[in-house]
Amino acid sequence: MKYNILQRLLQAAAVLLGVALLIFVMLRIVPGNPIATMMGEHADAATIERMTAELGLDQPIPAQFCRYIADAFRGDFGTSYSLGKPVSQLMKAAFGNTLKLAVLAALFAWILGIGCGIIAAVRKNGVFDHLFMGVSLLGVSMPVFMVAMILQYVFAYHLHWLPISGTDSIKGFILPAVALGWNSAGSVSRLVRSTLLDILQEAYIDTARAKGRRQWGVLGIHALRNALLPVVTMMALQISSLLSGAVITETIFSINGIGRLAVQAISGRDIPLLQGTALFSTAVVILGNFLADCLYSVLDPRIRKEA
Amino acid sequence: MNRTFSKITLAAVMACMAAGSAFPAVAAEAEDGVFRTAVLYDISTMDVAKTTDNYLVPMNIFDRLFETRVVDGSAEVVNSLCTEYSVSEDGLTYDFTLKDGIVFSNGSALTASDVKYTFERLLIAASENTDIPLEVVGGEALMKKEAEELAGFSVTDDTHFSITLSAPNAGFLAELSAPAMSIVDAETMAEADGFGSEPSDTIGSGPYVVTEWVANDHFTLEYNDKYWGEEPSVKKVIVYVVPDASTQNLMFQNGELDMIDLQNLDSAIVESSYKTTWPDQIITNPKVGLTYLTFNENNEYLKDERVRKAVGMALDVDMMIESIYSGNALREHGIIPTGIWAHNDEMEGIAYDPDGARALLAEAGYSEGEVAFELSMDSAADSNTQLLYQIISQLLDAVGIKAGIRSYDHSAWLDLRISGEMDSFVARWGMDYNDPANIMYTFFGSPENTKQRSLNYPDTETMARVSAARAIVDDAEREAEYQALEQKLIGEDVVWVPLFEELHLYCIGDRVESFTPHWAGFSDFYASDVVLK
Repeated sequence: MKYNILQRLLQAAAVLLGVALLIFVMLRIVPGNPIATMMGEHADAATIERMTAELGLDQPIPAQFCRYIADAFRGDFGTSYSLGKPVSQLMKAAFGNTLKLAVLAALFAWILGIGCGIIAAVRKNGVFDHLFMGVSLLGVSMPVFMVAMILQYVFAYHLHWLPISGTDSIKGFILPAVALGWNSAGSVSRLVRSTLLDILQEAYIDTARAKGRRQWGVLGIHALRNALLPVVTMMALQISSLLSGAVITETIFSINGIGRLAVQAISGRDIPLLQGTALFSTAVVILGNFLADCLYSVLDPRIRKEA
Repeated sequence: MNRTFSKITLAAVMACMAAGSAFPAVAAEAEDGVFRTAVLYDISTMDVAKTTDNYLVPMNIFDRLFETRVVDGSAEVVNSLCTEYSVSEDGLTYDFTLKDGIVFSNGSALTASDVKYTFERLLIAASENTDIPLEVVGGEALMKKEAEELAGFSVTDDTHFSITLSAPNAGFLAELSAPAMSIVDAETMAEADGFGSEPSDTIGSGPYVVTEWVANDHFTLEYNDKYWGEEPSVKKVIVYVVPDASTQNLMFQNGELDMIDLQNLDSAIVESSYKTTWPDQIITNPKVGLTYLTFNENNEYLKDERVRKAVGMALDVDMMIESIYSGNALREHGIIPTGIWAHNDEMEGIAYDPDGARALLAEAGYSEGEVAFELSMDSAADSNTQLLYQIISQLLDAVGIKAGIRSYDHSAWLDLRISGEMDSFVARWGMDYNDPANIMYTFFGSPENTKQRSLNYPDTETMARVSAARAIVDDAEREAEYQALEQKLIGEDVVWVPLFEELHLYCIGDRVESFTPHWAGFSDFYASDVVLK
């Protein structure tokens, strides 16, 4: 098991280095001068040339990359061209907001999704099954921006229950978390329902019932644990995606998160910020998959044994 | 099971209702003296040496020697830190006197040495604003590190100094009123390395101090109690970074903003909602500048002035103003836009005449569809500009000119434009200060300047005249020369098609008594010009 974890960590480091190299090279070969973009309409050619030299962008790409990696090991990802602050400082502040948003959205999605999925499976073809599956279909098919704007209009503008935007307090995260989690809740509930329905047909469920276990006992101890395996995969992918940033939600609710930083970096050709956010997103996806594998081992003894 | 679930649902709804009562509308929490507004994008810096457009904070926390303000309906250069000045007969040397007793917000005195330091810093600190200090004798040498100080800047004592220019420039005082020429504290700069990024290190002498900047979230300005001028009505300014325009709209309607910049919103919302609900609270100011369609004279078709004129004749600019901007723009016919002192109201433009355009193309020897060039569009352009491109392309198609639109990533677009190889594009130039040189010299003052904007204007003689016009000291003579040059560049050479000057609309909330926009219609504003009820 320890060897397996070490192997995964080494793989993760190699992937990160590869992604860093790929992003670094791509950003330097695509058309467009980042300094001209940064300086805008009023800058003249001489100033652009001078600034390019000041920032070391006139150096050979391998030299720039080596310097970048050496600095990154020390936690220095450079200074953002568009926001004028250290990338590490910007990502730290943004990640705090993204983390709060992702955790709240995931909790909302998973509690609602798993709960509704279980009830729909248990009450198959009943009123709640049709109701929840109808709502979940709405969840997976409705674009996030639409959910966000409806929530904003009803709960913030009309009812004044929650702020329209901003992250001054945890209240500011409620509407964005619901908007962001709405779609995930729909997917989770549909998956839980279908998996649970399959498992409830299994012979060992009949055995448990024959032994006199009550319905919730059969469900909780025997069925749900097995039904959650594919759900865990989905949840791991969802949390990775949520932590990598939710651009639309962050934009509509004015949350300074990783997604918005990444878009800002792309549109402004902000090389240091773009490299930083891309590396961060890669690390989060790797970590999410790693955690999902670990959770598999906990949930399924066969995987643990193989490892 | 069903009954239990119903109880849980009911309890959840009750809890939500109870929670709702604990969250009153944010507007009710507003404090007196606070002015709240929003921007779509965060600032990148508070240091004028590092930006050519993020001026909201510098305009409010720093002072300049002069300011441009609207006096009796026209933009005038007025004294600010400077009480008096004189100019030598040759127009080269300026003697200035500073106001007595001015201090920065940290209590240190603002002296002539700080002004000198400001000029020198713009030349040596990887600055984006070198143009103005470069005009001073020794500017070039200092920037190239061949000198240790600015030779043409002489400090007599704490309140007196003189500046000697390499060549006369009648617009020099107007240039000194540009935000780029904000005076910084030499003492603070020597000790703090967070100038421009850390509020506590960013010290000025203006009416406000910046107390907070949370990147991509908000920044806050508060009244500087050491300010030398009149105490403003607004004691605190909070600027939220709200990247979504519809969220800004809801925030304003919910009373969470005291002013909204209506250029951020869709014009249909402005017309249908703001102009009907708050007609008396809408403030309109020209965005002093020019939107124009360029021609690259290196292009095989566009090098022919008859083709360029035909393009101009094919464009129904009045229709564009009505259909895209709902009439919120002024038709322009020249280079110097309305609101700039040498603007020529009598300038005859290129009239809309599609039949004339076809005839002119035929006279130039081109058949229908033969003339073709690319309209290069910045993908980051706002929706109105994108629509403008489409209309221009269609109008040109109607007279037999194939002008296909190609969209470029912003960075690639800028790169292509600076390389001098872009065929044609639509852009807007906003005026930084009230002097025609700000547009005439920038675009047509030298071959490098025309190449950088992909104009490649070949007439070096006219360019030399544009450059020399900066040195004419007599205002009337200078105005006449600029207007003659404008006639030559547009009337004869058709260097571009002048389109219009947009009007900038703002809407103020119920808590605001009056709001005076920046003289040039910037989105940036002087908070000291806002009066709260």
